Amino acid sequence: MALIFPKKLDLMVRVAGAVIAIGAGATAGGMLLLHHPDRIEPGYQPTQPIPYSHKLHAGNLGMDCLYCHNTVEKSSYAAVPATQTCMNCHSKVKAQSVVLEPLRQSYEADQPVPWVKIHRLPDYAYFNHSAHVSAGVSCVTCHGRIDQMVEVKQVKTLTMAWCLECHRNPAPNLRPAELVTKLDWKPERDPAEIGREIIAKKKINPPVNCSGCHR
Amino acid sequence: MIQIQGIGNQTGPKFWRSLQELSNTSKFQQWVAQEFPEGATDILDGKSRRNFIQLMAASMGLAGLTSCRRPVEKILPHAKSFEGMVHGNSLHFATAMPLAGRAYGLLVESFEGRPIKIEGNASHPASRGAATSIAQASVLNIYDPDRATEVLEKGKKANWDVLKDAPASLGDGEGFRILSGYVNSPTLAGLKAQLLAKGPKAKWVEYEPVSDETILEGSQIAFNESLRPHYDFKKANVVVALDSDFLHIDNGSLGWVKDFSARRKPTHKEGSGGSHGTAEHAEPGMNRLYSVETNFTLTGIAADHRLRVKPSDVANFVFDLARELGALTGLKILGQQDKFIKGLAKDLTENKGKAIVLAGPRQPAAVHAVVALINNTLGNSGETVVYTKEERRNGLAELVKEMNAGSVKSLLILGGNPVYDAPADFGFGAALKNVANSVYAGPEVNETAAACHCSLPESSYLEAWGDVAHPDGTVSIVQPLIEPLFSTKSAIELIGYVLTGKWQRGYEIVKAQWKLTDAAWKKALHDGVIAGVTAPILKPNAEKAKVEAAVNSASKSKGEIEVTFFPSASVFDGRFANNAWLHEAPDPVTKVVWDNAALMSPKTAKAMGVDTIQDNVGTYSQRITVEIDGRSIEAPVVVLPGHADGAVTLTLGYGRNIVGRVGKGIGYNAYAVRGSTTQGIAATATVRKAAGTNYMVTTQEHHDQAGRPIVQEASVQKYAEEPHFAKHDEEHVELFQLFDSHDYSKGSQWGMAIDLNACIGCNACLLACQSENNIPVVGKDQVAKGREMHWIRLDRYFTGSEEDPQAVYQPMACQQCENAPCESVCPVAATVHSPEGLNDMAYNRCVGTRYCANNCPYKVRRFNYLNWHKDMEEIQKMVHNPDVSVRMRGVMEKCNYCVQRIQEAKIKAKAEGRAKGEAGPYKVGEVLSACQQTCPADAIQFGDINDPASRVAQLKKDHRNYSLLHELNVRPRTTYLAKLRNPNPELA
Repeated sequence: MALIFPKKLDLMVRVAGAVIAIGAGATAGGMLLLHHPDRIEPGYQPTQPIPYSHKLHAGNLGMDCLYCHNTVEKSSYAAVPATQTCMNCHSKVKAQSVVLEPLRQSYEADQPVPWVKIHRLPDYAYFNHSAHVSAGVSCVTCHGRIDQMVEVKQVKTLTMAWCLECHRNPAPNLRPAELVTKLDWKPERDPAEIGREIIAKKKINPPVNCSGCHR
Repeated sequence: MIQIQGIGNQTGPKFWRSLQELSNTSKFQQWVAQEFPEGATDILDGKSRRNFIQLMAASMGLAGLTSCRRPVEKILPHAKSFEGMVHGNSLHFATAMPLAGRAYGLLVESFEGRPIKIEGNASHPASRGAATSIAQASVLNIYDPDRATEVLEKGKKANWDVLKDAPASLGDGEGFRILSGYVNSPTLAGLKAQLLAKGPKAKWVEYEPVSDETILEGSQIAFNESLRPHYDFKKANVVVALDSDFLHIDNGSLGWVKDFSARRKPTHKEGSGGSHGTAEHAEPGMNRLYSVETNFTLTGIAADHRLRVKPSDVANFVFDLARELGALTGLKILGQQDKFIKGLAKDLTENKGKAIVLAGPRQPAAVHAVVALINNTLGNSGETVVYTKEERRNGLAELVKEMNAGSVKSLLILGGNPVYDAPADFGFGAALKNVANSVYAGPEVNETAAACHCSLPESSYLEAWGDVAHPDGTVSIVQPLIEPLFSTKSAIELIGYVLTGKWQRGYEIVKAQWKLTDAAWKKALHDGVIAGVTAPILKPNAEKAKVEAAVNSASKSKGEIEVTFFPSASVFDGRFANNAWLHEAPDPVTKVVWDNAALMSPKTAKAMGVDTIQDNVGTYSQRITVEIDGRSIEAPVVVLPGHADGAVTLTLGYGRNIVGRVGKGIGYNAYAVRGSTTQGIAATATVRKAAGTNYMVTTQEHHDQAGRPIVQEASVQKYAEEPHFAKHDEEHVELFQLFDSHDYSKGSQWGMAIDLNACIGCNACLLACQSENNIPVVGKDQVAKGREMHWIRLDRYFTGSEEDPQAVYQPMACQQCENAPCESVCPVAATVHSPEGLNDMAYNRCVGTRYCANNCPYKVRRFNYLNWHKDMEEIQKMVHNPDVSVRMRGVMEKCNYCVQRIQEAKIKAKAEGRAKGEAGPYKVGEVLSACQQTCPADAIQFGDINDPASRVAQLKKDHRNYSLLHELNVRPRTTYLAKLRNPNPELA
């Protein structure tokens, strides 16, 4: 019986198969690398509806983080302040500024300012600010030097592996609770040593089991 | 295993034999041919495999596209801040739920302005911190997309202007009628009085399909005054329930359950034995409950002695009991129950002033009059039974007469659903056609709304200001949790408008009614009850002669087959017919979901030639025709062991015609045969077999324990002799352990102890769990495939003979085994142990192999076969608890001891800097699981077993404490306290 397909097709099929397989593998690998949270999460810096500068308020003017993010010691969320909090000053300071027009509109119309969320965890991760702040984890540990950022961007990966690094060895990231919002704090001694003392005093024992963060 | 098979052979063939005689239904034959129910392994539910692949391909493509860009999320803070609001923390508000003349004090959790979880209010005497399943499920009603949301005029969308002529049309009240449910709101009662003063010829009629009218009528006979009895179960050594399910369906106050159960928790002390309390024992002993009833109710299941009688024989029993006690004169009639009556009478006489006799509202007035007389004779009145005044409401018959005569010009129906639930002989629906102008205001679009010219949407109690008085006189302010979600008004606002022609806010009307000082108003809102408002307590004397006259003239009619009507444990009188949580909660006794059935005893069913064909999840129920006074319905039969012979129990509240999507086409309508003279029982009824079958789905097919010691039960006498009786099965050699034991002696270790003797099986825990843990509803078809998602189930085991069994409830959730067999088989470590002894579930890791469920000896793991949340509308998602992940398809889930509540308490303790002691930083009672918090019987205790002060640690030391399937060496953290019965030695 005559061959329907020539013999060399055998090789062609094999080569084509190999090319497709390698190509698919490379694409998948590449996607994985490119899409890995370590690569894509840090650096996220969306444009906000009002060009609010943390550098000006928290850095130059030295306002405490807690003035605006006032629920951070009581709640899982670090509340983004109500427009009213901004208006405490801005009804007098820069009251006519053009850039603050959306703020005044928000206040008058009783409508929220649509800030864009930067630090985002998946819905199944239940992070709690109050637990961390009361233990003595500074804002800077997760959010970086916000007081030097004109426009806020994400600097840490916020992945589970990154969380667990600290949950397994919290000492280097602990400081006395009253210094939590002092982002430029420089420890006089070895920070790990200070951390160990705090761990001993407060009996800090961060959970590394599933239900510590996932419910 | 051998035992299990043996038992299977015992029960299996019995059903199979009867099947073969009757199995002509094609569905059944199909089932026989298949090993598993149809679709048991079908993941796709109606979609073909090809469809599935197409969908997958599409979603893969989309996934590729979307992952390139991070979704932008917004943070929308308030423009103006609120006092006391901490973003992310829940707030709790006290309010109260009115229901058919009763009031349940509630504490509602509000998250970012939306009510999400309902708990009982500890300071309300009718709640005492517990909430019924219905009260808890009521939160779902405000997020129901099918609720009444707009004004409809002749079926067309209109607005509130349709009422603009209403204030003028009142005039002097000529031809103006209002029909409402029981007005137990003092503010609405005040408006009613104003309205009747303004239009003196107007009439306001109150009607409830499920009421205690006969009880009031009975007291009218006995005391010449319409009085309502209140009971103190704390003091009662002996309780006699006569056709009364006072623990559940006929419950007037959860305080009754609290007090009753408190007397069912004996702790063993040498010598005391837990029998009736005597003065020497500081702790009063266990009470004794007698139940004489037709249906097998939760009260009958809790009873130490139960007598099955026809509905009309309850009256004869009560009369005989009164004669035995010397309260009535005359000859006894029920010869064969003489021993029971004598034993009971002796027990009652020995406990004079420490007993309660009570009868259910289905029984006629004469029974209640005699019950009042008995309580009087025994000196219980004033001790365990007191009375408050309550007016009778029985104007519906006259109203219908007026409507038929055409003298009603305008009829305003406030709530309720009389077209559906008024006595069938009244023909309310037909009479309504004679009314020139009929307006309905209610929370749903129902039969009555559709029959009226105009229907108005009413606000839920969670949306509008109001107040409500419980029959014992306690008044609560109904405090809304949220602004009305739609343009709805409350009954108070509506009547206020009819009176004044102005829309006033409910808040102002209620505040004006009470005229409290600011401090008193705030306190009333905070506490959930208005301080110092009570009803005067009365201790009247019964008039024997009048009661005797009533007994002599009482109806003697007695039928071959009698019918009795019960409100549904799920949908009550029908008003919750669109509530999916309640439909999915299995009936406590029959375990039927999404249906109502006609219940009868095995003997009666056999005599009638009606059979039920069992498959492994449900029943092909043959149907019967029930005919009462010329009206008839057809209903499927569920054979209930323990039901009285010669009687049929029909469940009200189903078979709704005009209802939302959830309640459509479910069950039969028992109101269609319920006449004005047969509200409770119909002594003369014709019941015969009808053609066809209905497929009824149950969540518990097994009625026995397959020979294993799952439920441990003993009498108090045996318990006194042998306090460790429950532990005998645990005595065996140390079992081989596959893994090294973990040290659980340090830190907080969570555990649970469930007292089977206290549990009444009411489903409150099941609903609490559903609400707290975002548990989806799957529907009847999926329950039939065994896919129900409830994390806690109430196993009900019958013991004894098929005709006259006893039953026991066993709440069953994840046992949090220390040697958890599920953990060792998970290939992806999605279920692992926490250092505090919890069997954690990481949903996001789960790949859905279901090995864990397969390896669980307690069968408490639930698998998301489908994405149950997929078709939810936005408004329905508002009910979700933000502290718990909403699980998606392909994920296993189960009880986790409300780990979100544990974490919340832990974080709070840490933020407050509380020292972490040996047993952890928690205060006793700081962490309550949802089921524990709401249990009206306090049967579930949860806490830190390493903290010797915790209740659960103490219960674990109790003699009655035992663990389930101990021989498997899985070391469950949940243990059970054995069931006790306290039988009367005279009746043994």
